Amino acid sequence: MKKNFLLTSLMVLLVVILAACSSGESSSETEVEAETNSGSETETTENNESKEKQVVTFWHSMGGAGQEALNSIVESYNSSQDEIQVNAEYQGTYDESLTKFNAVAGSDSAPTMIQTFEIGTRAMINSGQILPIQELIDSDGYDMSGLEENITNYYSLDGTFYSMPFNSSTPVMYYNKDAFEAAGLDPEAAPETFEEIIEANKAIAEANPEMKGFALQAYGWLWEQLLANQGALLLNNDNGRSDTPTEIGWTEEEGKSIFNWVKQMVDDGTFANYGTNGDNMVAGFLAGDVAMFLQSSASSRDVIDNAPFEVGIAYLPHPEAKERQGVVIGGASLWMVDGKPEEEQKAAWEFMKYLQTPEVQAQWHVGTGYFAINPAAYDEQVVKDAYAEKPQLQVTVDQLQDTKSSFATQGALMDMLPEGRKIMETALESVYNGGNVDEAYSTAVDQFNAAIEKANAARGE
Amino acid sequence: MSMSNPVPASSTDFNEINFENVKKKQKVMSFTKGMLFLLPSIVLFGAFLFYPLFKTMYLSFFLTNARGETTVFVGLQNYIDMFASPIFHQSMKSTFLFVLYTVPTTIIIALLLAVLANEKLKGIGFFRTIFSSTMGISVAAASVFWLYMFHPSIGFINQILGFLGVESIGWLTDPKWALIAVAVTTIWMNLGFTFLVLLGGLQSIDSYLYESADIDGAGYFYKLRRITIPMISPTLFFVITVTIINAFQTFGQIDILTQGGPQNSTNLIVYSIYREAFTNYQFGTASAQAIVLFIIILIMTIIQFKLGERKVHYQ
Repeated sequence: MKKNFLLTSLMVLLVVILAACSSGESSSETEVEAETNSGSETETTENNESKEKQVVTFWHSMGGAGQEALNSIVESYNSSQDEIQVNAEYQGTYDESLTKFNAVAGSDSAPTMIQTFEIGTRAMINSGQILPIQELIDSDGYDMSGLEENITNYYSLDGTFYSMPFNSSTPVMYYNKDAFEAAGLDPEAAPETFEEIIEANKAIAEANPEMKGFALQAYGWLWEQLLANQGALLLNNDNGRSDTPTEIGWTEEEGKSIFNWVKQMVDDGTFANYGTNGDNMVAGFLAGDVAMFLQSSASSRDVIDNAPFEVGIAYLPHPEAKERQGVVIGGASLWMVDGKPEEEQKAAWEFMKYLQTPEVQAQWHVGTGYFAINPAAYDEQVVKDAYAEKPQLQVTVDQLQDTKSSFATQGALMDMLPEGRKIMETALESVYNGGNVDEAYSTAVDQFNAAIEKANAARGE
Repeated sequence: MSMSNPVPASSTDFNEINFENVKKKQKVMSFTKGMLFLLPSIVLFGAFLFYPLFKTMYLSFFLTNARGETTVFVGLQNYIDMFASPIFHQSMKSTFLFVLYTVPTTIIIALLLAVLANEKLKGIGFFRTIFSSTMGISVAAASVFWLYMFHPSIGFINQILGFLGVESIGWLTDPKWALIAVAVTTIWMNLGFTFLVLLGGLQSIDSYLYESADIDGAGYFYKLRRITIPMISPTLFFVITVTIINAFQTFGQIDILTQGGPQNSTNLIVYSIYREAFTNYQFGTASAQAIVLFIIILIMTIIQFKLGERKVHYQ
């Protein structure tokens, strides 16, 4: 931190010195610069003329394995034709990328297309900086019905598509098959309900006192999923899909069932608390410290490859009293930025369509664990081979296809959702640390409602 | 302004009007000259400090949309909500506790190391380098390093505790420990710079002071108390002021280690501002918090200068 102080003073000095220097010699220098600039410009235009490539700037938030998979897709697209040049630029997490986008939107530095997470959907629409892809679908006659229905459900509002779904995942339960066997449990039949998990935890703890049964990362996304799986809404007015939400949508019974389940495990001493840190949780699972955890299916490839034991993947659990409804699509979609030249947008649209082809989706699905948006991809040989080798990958797809379509599983739309997630994370953490369920729950609900109210007020409507 | 009156005293009455004019002219001249000299810094400060400051004040009276554009004027409502919010209270409490944990500890350890490293011994350069080495490590790198140290099961610290038979601690997940864990990281990171500045202060003390103390037969600790500490008091004063301001502005290690959790126990004020603005897109409330932080630091600095200056011995 203090280095910053020194650094800044140095920088200021440098700026002043540079300014002083340049004023003296500016004339000769700028001339040289101008010459070199014009030289390079003519060169590039010549290049452009010979190839006539339309450049598309694509901001994304895929780090790690996802970035590698995406880069190879972009590369093969660029070499497959000579009309369009896609430049994929990693802009940090979805939050960071969205902040940057808000800063440059409407200017020349704005990208042609940007990848944003599902809970940013409402904020993007409200921003007025995007072009709904429905317009391109209509003018091009593209058929969206070929895509996975459960995924298109989330991204279509009143029959209008605002963005192109791209990387979608759902939460699944990962479990350690070896530990299940050691505890005398059936490794092929993972517990399905909250109650069964509590029982399984006890058996695991008995067989191996060093190992905790279950870990639930304090992550608002998982909270939303556990609600949806019970058929509960996150926000009223049909999850914000029929009208602007004014308060929370779940009932006390539905909300508290999750808190009480966690509380029971904490009291039993079978719960592993990794707080909000998902990486630590996965590291703990791989090290054999915890037998089960919930996480996005997008990590399945990573977890299966790195575990020194047999990894099982199962459906998201639900309370015994409720029927399983399925999951909400998580992940992100691609947005077309408004105010760009038509040629550029058309080129970006071509790239979006390319991303939905079965071959690309198959490669993407196998390389990461994200779903194939286009179900035809599951018939590709790459996917069949991968399933033969790692049958667990198929569970994530089955879970999505078993999902019952309703407002609950379509997911919520509201611009305060990131804040809502933080509120639920805090509440969950306080239960992890032995806090009172009623208190944590009612505080969270109050804060959640206040956040909705404030977001509605800030829109000035 | 330093120009003295060149007119002889006897002729003052006679030339009164003229003299006033000349004085005025000179005043304007020297004012313009002064401003010219100040211009670069006024422009820089204006663009990068004063404009953002006033803009922040302005924003704090509004609600904003996601792009930070003002939508609804709410007057003082942002401030009223903020002072009523338990999250903000927690944030203030954590911030002050954090300052209390980090500032004295950093300075005492750094001073101890500096006094040790100031001895003229063979190979002391090696230790000086080691002690100041944390200065060369970025906040991000240091935080990631400590993140692994604090890992609940495979982390180095809990492994040692397990070896000693102590139950492992959820350093970053237990609200009782998280702030301490972040404080330890911060102390470790800040040690290098504080050490280096204090060592510099120690090196600039004239050796004749110690020589004459030796002749008087003063002991080691007497010299430390009566010569060393008073002589480096300006350096200490600087270090204390800077460390306190930095502790109030801690951000990087929080973002990487805990993200304000568990249960907001490490949600220090700057992180809380960041979260309000860039996660919740409530630039109004974020600005209100920023103004409060500004006022707190301003008051702290004024108090330090009032209290500190009496104790500080400038050569």
